[in-house]
Amino acid sequence: MEYEIKVPVQPPTELQSLFIPIPPEYVEEVYRSEDFLVLVGPQHPGSGHMRLIVRVHGDIIREVIPDPGYVHRCVEKIAENRLYIQNIPLVERPSIMDALNFNLGYVRAIEDALEVEVPKRAKYIRTMLAEICRIGTHLYDAAILAVFLGHTTGFMYPFGIRELICEVLVRITGARFTSSFIIPGGVRRDVDEQTLKFVYETTFAIEKRLKSFERIFIKNPTVIARLKDVGVLTKEEAIKFGVVGPFLRASGVEYDVRKVEPYEAYGELDWDIPVADAGDSYSRFLVRVNEISQSLKIVRQCIKNMPEEKLKDFRGTFFDEFADIVLPQGEFTTLTEASRGTLIYSIVSDGESNVPYRMRMITPGWLYLRGFMESLKGERLADLQAIYGSFGYFPPEADR
Amino acid sequence: MEALVISHQKQIGDKMLEGLISGLFKIFTSNMMNIPLIEPLVDYLMQIPLVNLLVALILWRPFFAVIILPGLVGLLIYLLWIVYWERKLTARVQWRVGPIEVARPIRGAIQALADGIRYFFQEAIIHREAHKIYYIQLPILAFIPILLPLLFIPAGNVVGIKTPYGIQLIVAFIALIPLFIVAMGWASHSRFAYIGSLREAFMYFAYEIPFIIAVVAMIYVYGSGDPYVAVEKQNIPGAVLNPLAFIVYIIAMIMATSRLPFEIPEADQEIAFGPFVEYSGILFGLVMTLLYEKLYLMALLFVILFLGGWEGFYVGILGDFCAPLVLFIKTVVVISVLVIVRSVYARYRLDQAIRLGWTSYLTLSIAALILGMFVGVLV
Repeated sequence: MEYEIKVPVQPPTELQSLFIPIPPEYVEEVYRSEDFLVLVGPQHPGSGHMRLIVRVHGDIIREVIPDPGYVHRCVEKIAENRLYIQNIPLVERPSIMDALNFNLGYVRAIEDALEVEVPKRAKYIRTMLAEICRIGTHLYDAAILAVFLGHTTGFMYPFGIRELICEVLVRITGARFTSSFIIPGGVRRDVDEQTLKFVYETTFAIEKRLKSFERIFIKNPTVIARLKDVGVLTKEEAIKFGVVGPFLRASGVEYDVRKVEPYEAYGELDWDIPVADAGDSYSRFLVRVNEISQSLKIVRQCIKNMPEEKLKDFRGTFFDEFADIVLPQGEFTTLTEASRGTLIYSIVSDGESNVPYRMRMITPGWLYLRGFMESLKGERLADLQAIYGSFGYFPPEADR
Repeated sequence: MEALVISHQKQIGDKMLEGLISGLFKIFTSNMMNIPLIEPLVDYLMQIPLVNLLVALILWRPFFAVIILPGLVGLLIYLLWIVYWERKLTARVQWRVGPIEVARPIRGAIQALADGIRYFFQEAIIHREAHKIYYIQLPILAFIPILLPLLFIPAGNVVGIKTPYGIQLIVAFIALIPLFIVAMGWASHSRFAYIGSLREAFMYFAYEIPFIIAVVAMIYVYGSGDPYVAVEKQNIPGAVLNPLAFIVYIIAMIMATSRLPFEIPEADQEIAFGPFVEYSGILFGLVMTLLYEKLYLMALLFVILFLGGWEGFYVGILGDFCAPLVLFIKTVVVISVLVIVRSVYARYRLDQAIRLGWTSYLTLSIAALILGMFVGVLV
């Protein structure tokens, strides 16, 4: 005997009333099939500042269409109207956790153009700062991954550890993040011995606290069950979809800009590239966890091998010295390994004005968005957040 | 003549009322709580007309069991405590302080009360697409399966309805709660609520069968579904008599009340609180406490089955009140220990939880049943 159930399912009105970057025919086609469109975001606890249009068949994701751009802030266009030196705070903003890596990439492009020689001590300080920011970003991403899995302790621990990173940055640069500390030709001011000693000791404090994080989150059976064999990108796929950074290395590709084209002091230090073969969410997470320990190693080496040299202090004379920078005519491109992957800066100069003609900035988030979307296919709806967290996708960084 | 008739009718009416009151009074006083501590006060109040009826009602054993302890008032006190305790405990694990700003001198202990008041005065939005009638009434109707089991949960000689099938009835009424949650998700008419309802239904199948088997195993052990027999036979606690059923029951409590790692129907990062996504204001307050109330009921049954029920200490001055108090304290302690899982585990996926439920968990429960049969012969 069959009962007719009058379930009040109406055609989805929000798909007509909201602006959605998919054609109405697609929506109709989805609803004529057995599928279901779920709009995740932008006001969803597990989406960040973006919308994901998820086409699900039962519990299995068929396709995901990203709708980024909710935090697009025209960084490239604004940069065309500002002095070269004024762009430094601007380019940091998209990824405030990773500010000094973004700062470094931009400054290196200017140095390439002007052919400035950077003092060796300044190079070591920059390397150290970049690695400190890398640790901070990886911790932040680990925290977001944890809360996406519902593990609130795993969320709080990295944020607690990141306070140490912020304290280090305050002591060195004067700001918790976005310090604009790296400038063409070096750094703003020298770092004294006492601060370096503090940073050195902090690396051990971080390592100690990371152990408790490892106990509660990294080796937690529920976390491993959620992340293992989920969102797999094979080596070929990862290369094909242009995934970058730790996520490429998690798929077994040993590529790191710091090793391939060493910049700053990376060539002189001893460290490894953490690589995994599985290409799943868990290995993407583990690669970054291992990168934290490598970064701590680099920071310690930087402090130990720091050359004794007198660095110029730019306080007070900063604007007079840098305001009239004019780059020679041409295009200057640098590759930087930011925390989440390869960061490309390309400055086009007409040779006579004191603002860039064009500043191109390609962030890692934007580069691996495609790989992120492809890895979601065929997974379960509950895995959307696990994969999201494993990529550490940061919408402001991708949208710029 | 008319006046006489009216006065006569009045007399009859008075007599009937008097008879009713005295009848009720007789019923209440025949089965009253005996608490030596407040006896002088009770004796004094019993001399005042009408107030004595009220006092007799409150101290009437069935009323006391359902409304005071371990019933509604106990439930309220427990709710205020557990919300605070869970937040505080989680905070301590996570290098934080936890709720502290509400009533600083007592370390924020009335945080849950403050939240409750806020929920109460918040606007309860009913969105356009909701099934309005069901949407509003379901959170309130969900109290029926919460309150019904309280009738059958005894504490010493304080009991609502005394029946030899008490344990089975409690389990049956607890099993009704998920139906209301599923219905809430349906009435919300939202995608996430719909997915949440489905997840709730799936989870229901994953834990309910092992849970019932675990309870049946304990009924085998005691040879009866009567809570009194169960408590009487626990010279050795039930947890020792059948440790497998004990484990199965603990996992069932975590699964049934959507605690982490099985917080799958409400997963707020995935489906934004699932069936409850559209609720706000006092309606949300009601649905949010629903699972805490379910946990309370299951823990009461847990204490009766495995931890010796109301047998514990006996203080002469408390008299009959001692048994409900022991039961309540044991229950709250059990739950207070149980809430630590929230800060330890991440959330499982639905398919993983169901696989767990239908394989190892079900096997464990059947093993518990077999063990229960053997132990039942011995005990």
